[in-house]
Amino acid sequence: MNTRLYWKNRIPFFLLNVLCMLALSFFLFATGSSPDTVLFIVLVWLLLLLLCTAVSCHLRRKELDRLLHITEQLKRRCLIADVMKQPPRAEDQVYRQILRLSEKSMLEEIAGIERERTDYREYIEQWIHEIKTPITAMRLLCENNRTPFTKELLAQLEKTDRYTEQALYYARSEHTEKDFVVREITLCDVIHQAVTDNKYLLMQNHMTVDVEESGLTVFADEKWLRFILNQLIANAVKYRRDDSVQSASPAIRFHMERRDGTVRLSLSDNGIGIPAGDLPRIFDKGFTGQNGRSRQGSTGLGLYLCRRLCDKLEIGLEAHSPAVSGSGRLPFPDAPNTGTTIILSFYVNHFISQVQE
Amino acid sequence: MPPYKIMIVEDDPLIRSQLQTLLNGNGYVTLTPDPLADIADAVKDRQPHLLLLDIRLPGESGFSLCSKIRTFSGLPIIFVTSCNTDMDELNSILLGGDAFITKPYNTAILLAKINALLKRHYACGQEESLTWQGAVLHPESSRLEYQGRQAELTKNELKILVFLFRHAGRICSRSDLIDHLWDNQLYVDDNALSVNINRIREKLSAIGLDDFIKTRHRQGYTI
Repeated sequence: MNTRLYWKNRIPFFLLNVLCMLALSFFLFATGSSPDTVLFIVLVWLLLLLLCTAVSCHLRRKELDRLLHITEQLKRRCLIADVMKQPPRAEDQVYRQILRLSEKSMLEEIAGIERERTDYREYIEQWIHEIKTPITAMRLLCENNRTPFTKELLAQLEKTDRYTEQALYYARSEHTEKDFVVREITLCDVIHQAVTDNKYLLMQNHMTVDVEESGLTVFADEKWLRFILNQLIANAVKYRRDDSVQSASPAIRFHMERRDGTVRLSLSDNGIGIPAGDLPRIFDKGFTGQNGRSRQGSTGLGLYLCRRLCDKLEIGLEAHSPAVSGSGRLPFPDAPNTGTTIILSFYVNHFISQVQE
Repeated sequence: MPPYKIMIVEDDPLIRSQLQTLLNGNGYVTLTPDPLADIADAVKDRQPHLLLLDIRLPGESGFSLCSKIRTFSGLPIIFVTSCNTDMDELNSILLGGDAFITKPYNTAILLAKINALLKRHYACGQEESLTWQGAVLHPESSRLEYQGRQAELTKNELKILVFLFRHAGRICSRSDLIDHLWDNQLYVDDNALSVNINRIREKLSAIGLDDFIKTRHRQGYTI
């Protein structure tokens, strides 16, 4: 509270007091009091007036500062009107009433928007489930009639499916806790599933896939992890190196290891890599960077979703370019300064491990 | 062993007929009752070995059907659905489903699940083996036998031979072979396939099977 303003607001009150003082002085003079007595009374009056105002200013300031402090501490500040006590002063009660009214109308508005959003999200989820029926039918048709033509179609269907999944997970990523089953899963199995999901994409682009055999298990949600891997594989294919100068074919390598209480899954490719300047921002929403601008079909959504899901699943996510390897051995010894490595690190839950042992 | 009967409960007619084609092509007999009819009765009547059950059906949901069927039969049930929420997956396990596959499914994964479930439920002790022109392939122990002589096979070689034996007498294109290998988690390319085929031919020659795998120019391989 501004003290100076508080005193300024008291000016009419002081003026009234001065008027009263004058009136009293006249009366006392008229009834024959000595000037000393009048002066004494006026001085005492003034002193009491200033003292009272100073004390009430201090008290009021303390009270209001406390209220301000509480408001700042609140997570949802709009709820202050419900938190504060009913103030004793009449004006303050009106202000509180006003606060409550505005709070109520805002909450109603928010609820309306939330309802709309939920409706929209449910519609999107519904739509995605429905679009999956024709995709399934098309896949079956293609697989039952295998020709070079249907193989092209299958690759396109894979892509369609990946984009629909992306939309589904985008819609769901806000409410992960609803859709979350953490179980012990074998990393290798999930990788193989993700590779199978992108089979035609990988085969058409002549990608070499190398999955190191490993029995390492992690605690995570299988469906979400598979989605993350799908996005990463699609990126590795999209940003592959196509120049015929390089003798080695484009490749993806999966490596798993246990280190410092984490299980690390690294996915390396020998593609075009990521410029050092872009590296810190690749997980940002809508960021496409130099690579994205030079190629079509970059939305800046895939990696953003990966980071968001990893945050919710508490999986560490880091990107390195050129490709690196934890075990000291380069993933692509014949092309040491190329490619990208994405590392997912899963925390080993010591409690669960101990219980199991 | 008579062919296994698989019942498909699916409301989309195209998916139903295509699933039928797929499963028939892989040596299963299929039953496709009308999804609006009484499925539990149909299961009782026709005694399928396995049930492919959609969760979203026009009449009764797949979940309630499953619990109904579980009251009188323990046959393996695979849930097939397009809504892949974890609640559904959990429900399907709680209600006694044996597997849960989401649409759009990879046919290789679907077939592998069906095969594994049938094997587990109706296990017949003897080892499965494939025979063609006197050569006997034992997939379980990864061996090829011919006139008393044996050759040990690697994982890649075995998968290639299994595919060729299953399509014995027919021409298998290189891309179909590569497709099959990818479905079995062996990610080989064209060159690697040639290398593997050559290695198999050497092993076959060593046990007296010369020119067993024939190359058809521009078409593929055949045995």
